[in-house]
This record gives sequence, structure tokens and C-alpha cells, in this order.
Amino acid sequence: MAAGSLQSGSGEGFASRIAGWFRLSNLVLVFCVVLAGWLVFVPLGSLIYISLAEDTPIGPGGFTLDNFINAYADRHLLVLFRNSMIYGVGTAVVTLVMGAGVAWVVERTDAPGRGAFHVMSLMSFAIPGLLTTMAWILIFSPNIGWLNKLMMGWFGLSEAPVNIYTMTGMIWALSSHYFPLAYLLMGPAFRVLDIRMEEAATVSGARNWQVATRVTLPLLRPAILSTLLLLFVRGIESFEVPRLLGIPADIAVFTTEIQNATTEVPPAFGIGAALGMTLLLICVLGVFLYRRATADASAYATVTGKGYQPTPLALGRWRWPVSLAAWAMFALALGLPLFTLIWQSFFDAVTVPNLAMIGEGSIRNYTFLFSYPVFITALQNSGALGAMAATAVVALAFVMAWIAQRSSTKHGWALDALAFAPIAIPSVIIGASILFAYIMIPIGVYNTIWILLIAYVTMYLPYGMRFTSGGIVQIHKELEEVAQVSGASLLQIFRRVLIPLLAPVLIAAWLYVFVLAVRELAASIFLAGPGTQVLGTISLTMWEEGGSFGAVCALGMVQIAPLIVVVILLRRMETIISRRG
Amino acid sequence: MLAIETLRKTFNARGGGRVHAVDGVSLAVDQGKLLTLLGPSGCGKTTILRCIAGLERPDSGRIVIGNQTVYDSDAGIFVPANRRGIGMVFQSYAIWPHMSVFENVAFPLRVARGERYGREEVAAKVKRALEMVRLGGFETRSATQLSGGQQQRLALARGLVREPALLLLDEPLSNLDAKLREQMRFELKRLQTELGVTTLYVTHDQSEALALSDVIAVFNAGQAIQSGSPFEIYRNPNSEFVADFTGSTNFLEGTADAGGDGDGASVSTPFGVMRCGFVQDGVVAGGATLVSIRPEDAALSLEPPPAGVNTLLGTVSNRIYLGDVFDYQVSAGGTELRVRMRAESGADFPLGAAVHVSMPVETCVALRKPDSGERAARAQADD
Repeated sequence: MAAGSLQSGSGEGFASRIAGWFRLSNLVLVFCVVLAGWLVFVPLGSLIYISLAEDTPIGPGGFTLDNFINAYADRHLLVLFRNSMIYGVGTAVVTLVMGAGVAWVVERTDAPGRGAFHVMSLMSFAIPGLLTTMAWILIFSPNIGWLNKLMMGWFGLSEAPVNIYTMTGMIWALSSHYFPLAYLLMGPAFRVLDIRMEEAATVSGARNWQVATRVTLPLLRPAILSTLLLLFVRGIESFEVPRLLGIPADIAVFTTEIQNATTEVPPAFGIGAALGMTLLLICVLGVFLYRRATADASAYATVTGKGYQPTPLALGRWRWPVSLAAWAMFALALGLPLFTLIWQSFFDAVTVPNLAMIGEGSIRNYTFLFSYPVFITALQNSGALGAMAATAVVALAFVMAWIAQRSSTKHGWALDALAFAPIAIPSVIIGASILFAYIMIPIGVYNTIWILLIAYVTMYLPYGMRFTSGGIVQIHKELEEVAQVSGASLLQIFRRVLIPLLAPVLIAAWLYVFVLAVRELAASIFLAGPGTQVLGTISLTMWEEGGSFGAVCALGMVQIAPLIVVVILLRRMETIISRRG
Repeated sequence: MLAIETLRKTFNARGGGRVHAVDGVSLAVDQGKLLTLLGPSGCGKTTILRCIAGLERPDSGRIVIGNQTVYDSDAGIFVPANRRGIGMVFQSYAIWPHMSVFENVAFPLRVARGERYGREEVAAKVKRALEMVRLGGFETRSATQLSGGQQQRLALARGLVREPALLLLDEPLSNLDAKLREQMRFELKRLQTELGVTTLYVTHDQSEALALSDVIAVFNAGQAIQSGSPFEIYRNPNSEFVADFTGSTNFLEGTADAGGDGDGASVSTPFGVMRCGFVQDGVVAGGATLVSIRPEDAALSLEPPPAGVNTLLGTVSNRIYLGDVFDYQVSAGGTELRVRMRAESGADFPLGAAVHVSMPVETCVALRKPDSGERAARAQADD
């Protein structure tokens, strides 16, 4: 008779039921776990190995600590460390202030336009960071920035008033790109904050500022801390802004230095890996603290049940001023770069926006792009990679999240940790270490599209995991058990019960990963070669190797427009999910 | 029809150690009967049900359904849940929200192994199952549009559509409100007798168990304490635990004068010697003994009752009027006794009244008093 199998999915010990090993379904489960382990440990292992091996012209040599000594003895490292910290902390703080402001307006007030702010925040997700940065250069470069030129004219200045090639410029460029993320992180915290706690303070005799400082802020502290940590990690591991703004301004940070060391001729893989280890350590620490902060946050949970609807704060005559301030922020941070990209995509040379110039615009840049074979290849690569990565991530994360949730807590924890690990690994390090790994491992993926797929799946597994485990948590285990008792096999349970129930979540995860993959640059830059260029890498090449600015902007618009459609679909899915939950 | 032999199942306890969820339980259910597993939460009753369903793998023992052995630790047999052909209703109903009422019920037919049902056959079987639970005409509704009681009946229809030999019900009524629960009790009883399906019912609600069962097995800490007809369990509990769990009761402490004989036993209590009509195993001469008397069996009077009835003197310390009955608390020598009297003339006693409490011999049960160690172990198991 059939032996025990994983399929009952009850809370019982995992090991005791691995008897029916060679059942197809069990093999699938084991395969997924082994694959995820491979994806996480191979790059990390090769990073550590390369950082401890001598660099020789024919590859890694014997054991040495020279890489660390060379990388760390240099006084340059202190500068690198300081720059990275200022950049990371600065971005986190600016982003948090902007994002929390939007979250407060949307979640806690009756200011007009709240729905629009939410939608715009989601839309900003469709704009690749590289393009936002390019737009800021076109706006605020001392030489070509059109707003600089305009302001010089208006105020009769001899010098450009704003220089984007500074640390402040870098922080601003990244904050304008990331503040919607801060809003999305802070929003739920504002939403679940029970207004009755504030009312209780008011009734107890507290003035408004006392309520804010003694009740509201302490209640929000876990959310603020965890958001700051995550934003710090996101900032310190960002690549696009330092690459475009930091290098010309001679402001080096870890990500750009790692890329330099790895791609210079001859490559200094060892130094790159040694620097990577430091950056990795900072990020792992940051993510660890973040997870701890969010775990503690449940102690502050103030949701008061299903029917709870927070009463928005009536702003009275401040309704419109508050709304206008928020509109202005969106216009500045999001509207200005997007407008610049659109405008410039119709001109070859940098052109100051001006009504009189509208007639001069042409779609030449677009016609050029679609006749440019490199672009067509990159478009195909990005599209195919996005679709494949999204499919692979969703499938893998679905199975892993299911095992993690339905098996004993001990094993579930390990799987969960495995799938979430890449979130602490900066994309630059994923790119570099996957490069190291597959130069050494002769399975023929180096210089093919598959090495990019490996990188994308590794990077986005945590996001897939977050969607799918969130979805599976919502599904009562008894819905599966009753199917099993009714006679359904494991495959039938997946096909007839789990997948239909989770469809909106799986589609949302797919779309999300697709957008991330199409936007990707930081890892791709290590892995893309001739014939395997993607949209991100050709955008950078065209920008740096002197294609016309207009053509690059057109290239940007060709990415943004379809991504906006995808994000709208994503938004629809999320509405369906939240209505169901 | 269903036989369980020395079933054992342990779990890892939180904070280390093992919990004996099911500790050597043997049970048998005859064809067409309804057996209830009754006990407090954590007593192992749901684990037994899940072991029978195949959702949990026992550590050892044997389970036979009909003439098929579905689990035997010695022979290494474990039939997976999806091949046991059981009908089951879960506490949460587990109605699939993405399917219509029809599809929910049709599911067990669609995934059936070996047998392929034609379209008409599926439709006919689903229709019959739905009509059985009075949900005829609801086929095309979305399952999420149903009320709690309707979902409950839908879950039942799904469990019955394959005409299973065995039906498992895991606290099926606990999510319904009180009125609906009572109504569903009748419904369940009717269905079960009509179909003659052998049924195992898990509940912690003693009134549900008394109302529905042919046989009740009372569980505590992974073991069956007593099994018997509802009447036996209620009137003739074999232990302090069963007496207490199956309804409210009064315990009077004392010492047995002699072990059980044909005519019952005499127990010396602070209120005098009490005659008990029932004497359970374990009551020995000179041993610590409890006399159990249910509140509705005792009665109050201002005049002393006739001789031959156990009686004691007390004061009415509290009274509650419940419409059909009065509930009294009577203080007697530092003990509080509960007495329930039908609200008819002569049953109304004011607070502070000095009353005689009479306890007919045939309703008094003498039980062995568990020592303190046993009580502590039980208290732990209840956590």
C-alpha cells in the first residue's frame, strides 16, 4: 500500500513522512528546495571564495588575504564608507519624510486627491531608476540642465543655481524615486493606528502637540524605524544614481567601486569581492534589524477588528493647502522628470521646454529606435527575461511558501529564511558573484541570456515569496484537507483548489516581478554581453557613449509606457485581493 | 464498522518534550450508529478524528474502516486520506469560495479515482445531496453568498455526495448561533438515521453529545474515560470528571462505609450518612468518596421530607429566575449546593429561607475521590 507522503500537509514532523520519496509530487518539492538552495548558496560561496583567493590571469589562485588587505588598507576605503553612509542615511531620512507625509495625507486626512496620490505612487513604480536619474541630469546639470538655464535667465544669474552632481543631488535623485516606496511602507501603519488612542489622550487633557509626541509618534515608532532601515539598505545598495551622478562628481560609493573593480581591465575580481563582503555585511545587518523591528511591531498592533474604520482628520480650511502641498511634491519629484523624458524624447539635442518649440518636435528618435537592431534585441531579451523570471519566481515561491507554511514550524522557518535571504544581498553583489560563480562552473550559461535569468530569479524570489506566503496564510488549511478527504490527489488539490484560490495573488506576483526584471540594471551590467543586452544596459550604454539624449529618452518612454499598463493591471489584482481578504 | 485499536499519537510540545495527544485509545462503532467523542479542548478527540481521516499519521495502533485496514503500524499500512472514501465536515466548513454551490458538492465526484461519473450522473447525485440538506435550488449560487447555516449544510452535502460508509464531523455546529445550532441538531439526527451512515462526531458541547449520540465516549488527556449511551453517561458517570463535564453537578465529600453492594453504598459526610443508589468502581470502605447529585434531582422544602431520602439543612443564599426554572444556591455548613426547581407553585423560596434539601437515593452516585496528584495532572492536560 502507499506509504506516507508529504501530501497530508498536516502540522506533523516533516522527516517522519518522507517515506514516499519517489512520488512525482515529492520530487517536485525537493527539486524546488534544492534549486532555491543552489540559487542562494552558489553566488554567496563564490563571493567568499573569490574574496579569499589570489587573482591570477587564469582565474582564482591560492588562498590569500591580500584582497582584503589591499581593499581595506587603502585610506580610500574610509572615504568610500563615509560616502556610502551619508548617501544611505540621507536618502532614508529624506524619503521617509516625503513618504510619511503622503501616507498621513492619504490615510488620516480628508484632503482632496488622496486616491490620486495613491495611484501616482504606484505608477512611479513603472519608471526605472536609471531614467529618473537621467531626467534629473537633463533638468539640473550645470551645463545642460534646462531648468538651470531657465532660472539663470529669469534671475539674471551667471552660474547655474543647482548642481545635481553633488551628494545632495544624489540624495534628491534617489529620494524622488523611492519616496512612493516609503509611502507604501508607512501607509498601513497610519491606517491601523486606532484614532481612539489619540482621542483617549485628548479626553485625558492632552493638547494636540502632546498627543502627537506622546501617543502618535511612539505608536508609529516601530514602523518608522523599520522603514528607515529598509530605505537605508535600499539606498546603500542602489547603483543607478551613483553610477550616473556619483562618478562624474567623484563621489565613490561601494556599489560603483565594486562594479569598477570587476569590469576594469584587467579585472580585479578579488578586490571587488572583498569590497562586496563589506557591503553585504552592512546590508545583512540592516535587514536583520529590519526583520527584528517588524517582528516587534506586532506588539504595537492596534488594529481593532474587521469593522474598524478610522475617522479621517477633518482639516477644515487646511484641506486645500495640504492637498496642494502634496500635489506640488508629486509634481516636483515625479512630474518633472517624467515630463522631461517625454519632452526630450521628441528632440535630438537638449531643448528647453517652450511652447514655441512644440512644432519643432519630431518622432525621429522613435523611428530610429525601432530600426536599431541593438534595441530590438534588447527589447526581446528584456521581455523574454521578464516573462521567464516572473514565471519561474512565482512557481518556485508558490511551492516553497506552501511547504514552509504547511510543514512543521521548524522547517518552515528554514525555508522561509532561505527564500528571503536574497533580499539582503545587493543587486550589484548578486551580479558580481553570479559572474564569478559561472565563470568557474562550466555549465555553459556564461555570456548567455540564462545567466541573467539566474540572477533575476535569485533577486526576486523574496518578493515572490512575500506575495505567495501572504496569500497562502489567508487560505485555511481545512480547504485543502477537505479536498484530500474528498479523494483529491496533491496535484488535484493544487490545480482545483489552491491555484484558483490564489490566482489573483499569483498574477500580482508575476506582474510585480515582471516590472522589476524589465527595470533591472545593477546586476545585468555584470552579466549582459554581446547579444544578451537588456533595456537597462543599452540605455546606460547609449547615454554614456554619446547617443543623442533624445534617443535615450525615447528609449525610456518605450519602457515606461508598457510598464505603466502592467502596473495598472497589478493595481487591479491588488484591489481584487483586498476585496477578497 | 469502524474499529480503532490502541491508537497512539504524540506531538512535540512547545518548549520541548512530547505531548500524548492520543494515549492508547480503542473504540468501535457499529454500522449505522453515531458515536460522539466528547471532551474539553486538547483532550485528543480531534486528533483521533484526523487519524481516522488520514490527515494525521498515528505513532502506533490500528484503524479498520468496514473491512479495510487503513492504518496498521505493525503491518506498515497507511492509506492516504484521498483513498479512504470518507465524508468529512470541518469546523470551519471549508467551503471553497471560488466554486459555486454545485461545484463544491460535485468536487468529490470529479476527483474520484477509477470511477468516472457522467455529466448527468454528477448532476443527479449533487441534486440529491443538496435536497437532502434542504439546499435544493441553490446550485448556481456562489458559495460565499450563503449564510453560516447554509454553508454548514453545504459542507454536509459535500461530505455525503459519495454516499460514504463513514462520516466524520468535527465540531460542525460550533460556529452557528444558539438557535440555529438547536435546529441543526434535529436536522443532523434526522439525516443520520435516514441514511443510516456510520458517524463519528467530535464536540466539546455535552448537550449536543447527549442529543445526537447512540454512544458517547468521554475523553480527557488523550484517554477515553467512559463510554456508554447518553443516559448511562449522564445518570451514571464513572468518575468525577465525567460527572462534571457532562452537566452541572454537586459533589459532597465523605468516606464510604462499605464498598459497593447490590443496594448501593452508604457514605459518611459532614451532613450525615448518605445512601447512594449507584456505586462506581474504586469506591472502597474507608476510602475518600464523592457523592454526586445533579441540581435538578435535588429539591427544596420548608418541611422535612419523608424518611428514606437523603437530606440536609441549609439557607437560600442566592436565587435566579430563568423562566421555566429557579436556580438556587443553598449554603450548608460551608458548602454551596446548586438546586434547580421547576418554576411552579411552591417552588419559590425567598433569600435567607431555611430549607431542607432532599436528595433521592436513586439519583446519588458514589464516586472515588481522585487524589491530588491525579487532579494536578488533569489540570495540566486541560491547559
